Amino acid sequence: METFKVMEIKKSVYEGNDRRAEVLRAELKEGKVFLLNLMSSPGSGKTTTVLRTIEALRDEMRIGVLEADIDSDVDAKTVSDAGTRVIQMHSGGMCHLTADMTRQGLECLGTDGLDFVILENIGNLICTAEADTGASRNAMILSVPEGDDKPLKYPMMFAMVDVLLINKIDAISFFDFDFEAVRERVTRLNPGIRIIPISAKTGEGVAEWAEWIRTEVREWKRA
Amino acid sequence: MHELSVVIEVVKTVEEFAKKNGVTRIDRLVLQIGELSSMIPAYIEECFPCAVDGTTLESTRLEIEILPGNARCRACGKTFNLLENKGACPACGVKDAEILSGREFMIKEIVAC
Ligand SMILES: Nc1nc2c(ncn2[C@@H]2O[C@H](COP(=O)(O)OP(=O)(O)O)[C@@H](O)[C@H]2O)c(=O)[nH]1
Ligand SMILES: [Mg+2]
Ligand SMILES: [Zn+2]
Repeated sequence: METFKVMEIKKSVYEGNDRRAEVLRAELKEGKVFLLNLMSSPGSGKTTTVLRTIEALRDEMRIGVLEADIDSDVDAKTVSDAGTRVIQMHSGGMCHLTADMTRQGLECLGTDGLDFVILENIGNLICTAEADTGASRNAMILSVPEGDDKPLKYPMMFAMVDVLLINKIDAISFFDFDFEAVRERVTRLNPGIRIIPISAKTGEGVAEWAEWIRTEVREWKRA
Repeated sequence: MHELSVVIEVVKTVEEFAKKNGVTRIDRLVLQIGELSSMIPAYIEECFPCAVDGTTLESTRLEIEILPGNARCRACGKTFNLLENKGACPACGVKDAEILSGREFMIKEIVAC
């Protein structure tokens, strides 16, 4: 006769990853590498924003890029010509990055001598929000053509990021995009969030975005 | 794909737990999934055999319990099920509620033998 024994585990599935993310975050802090996790739907402008960010900050920070976006068109050469280290991560059809995958990416990139690494996450608003990568800060891009009701559809993502970039504002006259409605919806989900309208195409708002990064890096160093 | 990567994570955690507790055979694994979680129970069941292949959970049966997605209306305070009411408070009709439960994805227990 076999005896069955019920053993309670009561553990959130995300806990293991959360723990590994905390460890990575602490190690990055120790090594003085600021990791920014950049998330959005496909096509919102992550890659274009990464290029703009490099342009704005390359004279004051040594920057690296982890490219995990599947349909990315970052020209590795253009980026590296600008003195930026970049690697394309092969996420093998995965829809989000875990802390372990981020760690592997960083090891492959080599963080020696870098101050600032941008992780262009896989284009997805659902599970990227559930998996902590270990980043120092989390950023999200919502582009104008996607519509102002996105915060209602993907509340988790809007609730967990430190900053929201509203991109493609150069195209605002072609769309029915209510800025105030977005601001109101997003701050209700996340009262401490910073919202910055930008156009990665024209460069509008990029200075404000770069200033946000500088401030956060300073605060992160002090903390 | 989303479910598979997460189920592999689940299997790792359970194997760790089993090892630590000297369990060699697991008859059943019980998961709890909130209605508002991005996990779809049918997909989890579908990829489970693939995730346990070659692990100590190979012959383990999977059981999934669904946790309700409940919320409290910010206007009148009523607690209600979000999905059944399509997000609107059944008492006052306002679509502004604070989520109380339903985002969980938990490993509840195992039945060892
Ligand atoms: N009009 C406009 N187009 C943009 C802007 N930013 C990006 N795009 C375009 O949107 C498309 C997707 O951009 P990309 O950076 O590859 O997005 P990703 O998939 O999030 O990395 C490209 O054709 C970009 O040129 C912007 O601010 N305004
Ligand atoms: Mg891209
Ligand atoms: Zn109500």
